[in-house]
Amino acid sequence: MDILAFLAQGFAVALEPQNLFLALIGCVIGTLIGALPGLGPVNGVALMIPLSFNFGLPATGALILLVSVYYGCMYGGRISSIVLNIPGDEPAMMTTLDGYPMALQGRGGEALGVSAVASFVGAAVATLGLALFAPLLVDFAIRFGPAEYFALFVLAFATIGGVTGGSLVKSFIAAFLGLLLGSVGIDAVSGVPRYTFGLYELYDGIDFIVALVGLFAISECLIFLEDIRGTSRPTLTMGSALPGVRAAGRCAPTIARGSLIGFVAGVLPGAGAALGSFLAYMLEKRWVGRSGRFGEGDPRGVAAPEAGNNAAAGGALIPMLSLGIPGSGTTAILLALLLSMNITPGPLLFEQQPEMVWGLVAALVIGNVVLLVLNVPLVSLFAKVLQAPGWFLMPMVVMVAFVGVYSLNNSAFDLYMMLGFGVLGYALRKLEIPTVPVVLGLLLGGQMEFNLRRAMSISGGEWSILWNSGISVGIYLFAVTLIVAGLVYAWLVKARLRPA
Amino acid sequence: MSEPLRDDAGRVPGVIGDRIAGALLLVLALGAWWLSHDLESGFMQPIGPGEYPRLISLPLAALSLLLILRPGFNQRWPGRAALLRQALTLLVLASYAGLVKPLGFLPASLVAVTLLIRLFGAPWKPALASGSGLTLALYALFEFVLGMPLPDMPGLDW
Repeated sequence: MDILAFLAQGFAVALEPQNLFLALIGCVIGTLIGALPGLGPVNGVALMIPLSFNFGLPATGALILLVSVYYGCMYGGRISSIVLNIPGDEPAMMTTLDGYPMALQGRGGEALGVSAVASFVGAAVATLGLALFAPLLVDFAIRFGPAEYFALFVLAFATIGGVTGGSLVKSFIAAFLGLLLGSVGIDAVSGVPRYTFGLYELYDGIDFIVALVGLFAISECLIFLEDIRGTSRPTLTMGSALPGVRAAGRCAPTIARGSLIGFVAGVLPGAGAALGSFLAYMLEKRWVGRSGRFGEGDPRGVAAPEAGNNAAAGGALIPMLSLGIPGSGTTAILLALLLSMNITPGPLLFEQQPEMVWGLVAALVIGNVVLLVLNVPLVSLFAKVLQAPGWFLMPMVVMVAFVGVYSLNNSAFDLYMMLGFGVLGYALRKLEIPTVPVVLGLLLGGQMEFNLRRAMSISGGEWSILWNSGISVGIYLFAVTLIVAGLVYAWLVKARLRPA
Repeated sequence: MSEPLRDDAGRVPGVIGDRIAGALLLVLALGAWWLSHDLESGFMQPIGPGEYPRLISLPLAALSLLLILRPGFNQRWPGRAALLRQALTLLVLASYAGLVKPLGFLPASLVAVTLLIRLFGAPWKPALASGSGLTLALYALFEFVLGMPLPDMPGLDW
């Protein structure tokens, strides 16, 4: 068993004191960020990237820190859903449906307990899946040439729009805008500066990190500023989380189903955790039928989406690590981290730096256990964080973003750029143009162009090389299928939302 | 962010917003297309540096036209008071970005954070108190824990 040997090696890396400490810190910070209303994994991880650079961490350590924050945010997101009826981010949205009614009935502790266990199982299933399936995908992808990679990038863009359920036109606009922004800077092949307008700060291209922090953290603050009146929150008695752990035993089949569905949704490029929790909840409701009391505080209504979104979060790491194609906004940010450390995920990463990949997998296992242990007894402590006033929270987020980005290059230009991206992100969100494809375009544009040009120089300028191999045709067909599936899905969501 | 389950209550028809956005994007795409013709490298390649931006800007232009012709929905746009708050916040942040180096981290941040907290709706006293707390915490975090030097005040080394 190759995998077991690799995994043992991975645990040796993850159990190094420094990495263990980073996983712990990441889990705590992640849970806190995830618990704050309005801040989810995307913002949380984006905010942490400049900080992890400042720590001067090696790549493995930085990645362990950030994926711990990622998993922690997924855990923490359920807390504000259940306690405040405010989802911290989109995947946590389904959890409010039954979680908040449970909290109103004084069973908040139980809901948090059930969801902690469900999150744990979901994440564990996904981590296992990552260990099993990522190497298979790598074996397959090792045969890819530049033309196949180009097809894969097309697939990523085709699906991220299709599956999110918004307007297809707007998703593609976002992707092309991102690609165009990604072409700014000196062209790597010919050395010609493109769209830099003589600004030497732009010669290296638009810094992903600056753009990401602006698009997510700054725009979130601008959204928050629209309505600064604090909403009055009813004080709820939480109760203990222990009955929830027992209830989770009764929900075991639900959790198992939710985990599997979520995992599959997470692996699909462009789908991600929001789809995972949505499908898990909807299918569970259908499965249980009329005997369930979904929407009125059924513990299964909390267990299913939480298992689903945590499994999807782990599943989304598979295409990111093995192909270099992120399946969600947060994995796109993790990809940004790797690229800025000059690490290109993909099949070669598994061959050249197995200790990093498997150390990460082991860190996920450890982080998951840490999160379960933290979340059952300490959940009331995390729930307290929610009482911090918004007028303190958001300025803190802005300042951490500012100082973090400033300290990267000590450059005021970066800060103006970040503000610009903040305004852009805000406008896009108001226009219902998704921001994730912009990020993907910015991130993947360089690689996509590089593969296109390499393919063209192999073929001597013959465009047909792009669709000459069976694999690339298969990938294009898959992309078309997913777009069609996305259209059907969007139609279903619309049909379901209408009566609500 | 595009979520599969959107809060439909906050949506408005985007006839104006989408058309303005579409027009801006169209100008951007055409500009990028136009400028890409200046991008030539000296030696022969199957695809020069200008080809790829052209490949992107054409579909972007087409999609922008589509957006102008068939606008969709927007989230509700902010009212005048909210816009003013947002503009002031951006002003504070932009001034902070320009002033942090000449003035030094501590005074610039103290002023910026306090004003920010005010803009987010807190009264003066708590704003000043938590503003100083946050400034000192950030200073401690970056200077001592992370070991990143922040701009010092003129004439002082802190």
